[in-house]
Amino acid sequence: MTKTLEIDIRSAEGLKVNRRLIKRKTFAVVKIGDKSRISNLDESGESNPTWNHKSEITIDSCSNSGKQFIFIEVFYRTGSGRNKKIGEAKIPATDFMGRYSPEGHLNILSYRLRDEYGDKCGIVNVSIMVKPGSTEAIKDYGACSSQVRTESPSIDGYGGRIVTGVPVYCVIQRQS
Amino acid sequence: MGSCWSDGSHGGGGMVGVGGTSSSAATANDALSFSASSLRDGDVISKSDAMVVVYSKGRDGTLAELFRSEVVLNSLNPKWIRKFTIGYQFEIVQTLLFRVYDIDTQFQNSKEEMLRLDEQQFLGEATCTLSEIITKSNRTIALELKRKEGAAAQTQSHNNGKLVVHAEESLASKTTTEIVFRCLNLESKDHFSKSDPFLVISKIVEHGNPIPVSKTEVLKNDANPLWKPVFLSVQQVGSKESPLVIECLDFNGNGNHNLIGKVQKSLSDLEKLHLSGQGINLFLPTGVGHKHEDRVLKSQLFVDKFTETVQHTFLEYLASGFELNFMVAIDFTASNGNPRLPDSLHYIDPTGRLNAYQRAIVEVGEVLQFYDYDKRFPAWGFGARPIDIPVSHCFNLNGSSTYCEVDGIQGIMNAYNGALFNVSFAGPTLFGPVINAAATIASESLAQNARKYYVLLIITDGVITDLQETKDALVSASDLPLSILIVGVGGADYKEMEVLDGDKGERLESSSGRVASRDIVQFVALRDIQYGEVSVVEALLAELPSQFLTYMKNRNITP
Repeated sequence: MTKTLEIDIRSAEGLKVNRRLIKRKTFAVVKIGDKSRISNLDESGESNPTWNHKSEITIDSCSNSGKQFIFIEVFYRTGSGRNKKIGEAKIPATDFMGRYSPEGHLNILSYRLRDEYGDKCGIVNVSIMVKPGSTEAIKDYGACSSQVRTESPSIDGYGGRIVTGVPVYCVIQRQS
Repeated sequence: MGSCWSDGSHGGGGMVGVGGTSSSAATANDALSFSASSLRDGDVISKSDAMVVVYSKGRDGTLAELFRSEVVLNSLNPKWIRKFTIGYQFEIVQTLLFRVYDIDTQFQNSKEEMLRLDEQQFLGEATCTLSEIITKSNRTIALELKRKEGAAAQTQSHNNGKLVVHAEESLASKTTTEIVFRCLNLESKDHFSKSDPFLVISKIVEHGNPIPVSKTEVLKNDANPLWKPVFLSVQQVGSKESPLVIECLDFNGNGNHNLIGKVQKSLSDLEKLHLSGQGINLFLPTGVGHKHEDRVLKSQLFVDKFTETVQHTFLEYLASGFELNFMVAIDFTASNGNPRLPDSLHYIDPTGRLNAYQRAIVEVGEVLQFYDYDKRFPAWGFGARPIDIPVSHCFNLNGSSTYCEVDGIQGIMNAYNGALFNVSFAGPTLFGPVINAAATIASESLAQNARKYYVLLIITDGVITDLQETKDALVSASDLPLSILIVGVGGADYKEMEVLDGDKGERLESSSGRVASRDIVQFVALRDIQYGEVSVVEALLAELPSQFLTYMKNRNITP
C-alpha cells in the first residue's frame, strides 16, 4: 500500500559545522528508500536558511521490513562548488501517519540534525501531509497488520528495531 | 427616532478596562452599541425617553458605573447612538449590568452625567458577560429586561422589553507589529565566554510584576545578537502607548537567567527608535533597598525592523465559532498529605474556603467555560490507586471506567470531592499519561475538522519524576491544537519544571530527535503569585491567545 506525501522542506536553524555557525549557501535533500528530492539552494548563505520547497514523494506504508523512515540531509556548497554534508535527521513514519495524524492533516514538524559524529548541528523544520485517497487497493490485509499499533508508551517513534523478549523461567519455580 | 445628546461626542471618550489589574491605558477594543424594543411605557402622555447605564459587576457583586448613553426621546424602541468602548481581556470574567431608565421631562436638557438615577424611572435591567457577547457569531445578544423587585418579576418580566447589545471590534486592536531587535556590546555574564542572550518583553500592570507577553529565541555566545522577528499585537499589550519592559537576559541551563540589562519603552517609542536608526542604552538596576539606582550600560538595543499589519485576532476566531475545550488533571500523589488533615493541600475546609486545587479549577474554569459550548469537561486524576485498580496515572475523576467527562465546573468539583476519599494516594508524579490522553482527544477532533482548540490544566504539588517522558509527550503533542497550563501548588522547588515552559529557553527535544513544533506549555507556581495582585489566571492565560494564533497562522486557518 503506497501513499503519496506532500513534503515541504521549510527552513533550518542554527546550522553548524565543527561547532561553528556556517556562512554558506545550503540546500536540503529528502530521502525515502532510494527516492530523493532536492531543494533549491538558499542564496542568503547564512545559518538559518529558508527553502519552502514543496515536493511529492511516495512511501510504502505497509512494508514488512518494519518501521519506515524519511531522511532529511542538509548540505552546504563550498567555495569551490562541491557539496558537503552538514548533518541529517531521521523522521519515523509514525510521526505523520498514525496516532495523532489523520490523512489530509498538515503535520508541522521539527527535527534535530546530527552530523557524522552524532553531534548536534542544527534543527530542520518540515511539513508533511499524507494525501488522502491516494492509497491503492489493499491487496493483502495480512501484510498491514504490522502497521497497527495499539496504545503504547509515550516515547513516540523511538527509532530502532523491535526486539522480542523471551520469558525466562525461574529455576526455583519448579521446585514449588 | 429622536435623539438628544448634549455635546455630540461619542465613542472614543470612554477608555475603560474592566477588572482590577488592567493597565490604565487599555485600548478600546470593542465598541458596544445598544438598542431596545418593546420598552415599558413610563410616561402617561408620551412614550418613554430612555437612557442606558452600564455597570461592571465585580465577583462580590459590587457595581461600578462605567457609561451612560444619551437620552432617546419618545420611543419604545430606541436605538442609541453613543457607543461604549471597553477593553476586552480574555483572562478575566467581565460581568456587565445594563439598566434602562426613563428620563423625566424636567431633566431632559441637562447633561447625562449630571442626572441622578434615583430620580428617574427605572424600566428594567439585564446582565451578561462580555465574552458572551463577542463569542456570538453576529456579536449581538438580546437580553430580557427585568425589574429589580424579585417578587413581581414573574408576571412583569415579559412586559419589560428586550435590550440588544452589539459589539464591534475596533480596527486598532487588530494590528500586529513585527519587530526585529538587535543589540551591541552586550556584557558577558559568563567568565570564559560571551553571554547567551535572549529578550523577554513584558507588559506592565498596575499591581504586581510585569507579565511576559513575548520572548525571542536564545542565541549562543553572542555579544552582538540579532534575533528573529517578534510579533506583538496591540491587543496583547493594551495600546501603542502602554509601557513595556524589555529585558535582555543571559540564558542559563539551570533556569536561573542573569539579567544583562533592560529598558522600558512603549511600542510607539520602539517605532521612533526604528525610524531614527539610533540605539538606546540598556540599564541595570543595582544596589538594594534605599540605595536603588540604575547603572547605565554601554550595551545598546536597536530596532532594525518595525512593521504593522492587520491580522486576524483571537477574538475573530472565537466569534467565528472556535471552541476552547477545557480539560483538567489533578495530582493525587501522597506528597499532598492526608486530605483529612488541615495541613494537606487537598484539605476540604468545612467553612467553605477553597483549597489550592479547588481555587485553580474554579478560577481557570470560570474564564474558559464560556468558550466551551457543551460544558462537558474531561477530568482526570493521577498518582493514586482507585479502588480495586493498581496505581493509575490517568484515571477518570468521575469514577467511571468508560467516559471521562463531567458537566460544568460544579461537575468537576463534585467529582474531585468524590475521588478524594475513594482513592489511596500514591506516587510518583508522572505527567506523560494525562498529556497523552489529552493529545488523543485533541487529535480525534482533527479527523473531524472541528474548529476546536483544547486547553489542559494540570494542577500538581511536586516535581515530575518522568521529565524525559513528559518532554516526549509534549513534543508529540506540540503540533496539535492543544495548550497545557501547569499550576504548581505547595512549596516544592519547580526549577526543573520551568524547563518545560518554552519561555525559559530552548525548544523541547524528545528522545527520538524530534523537536517541539511550538511552545504549548505555560507553567506558573502559585507561590510566586501574591494574593490580590496579578491573579493566577492572568499569568496562566496570558500566553494562550498567542499559542492559539501561532497554531492557526502556521496552518493558514482563518476565522
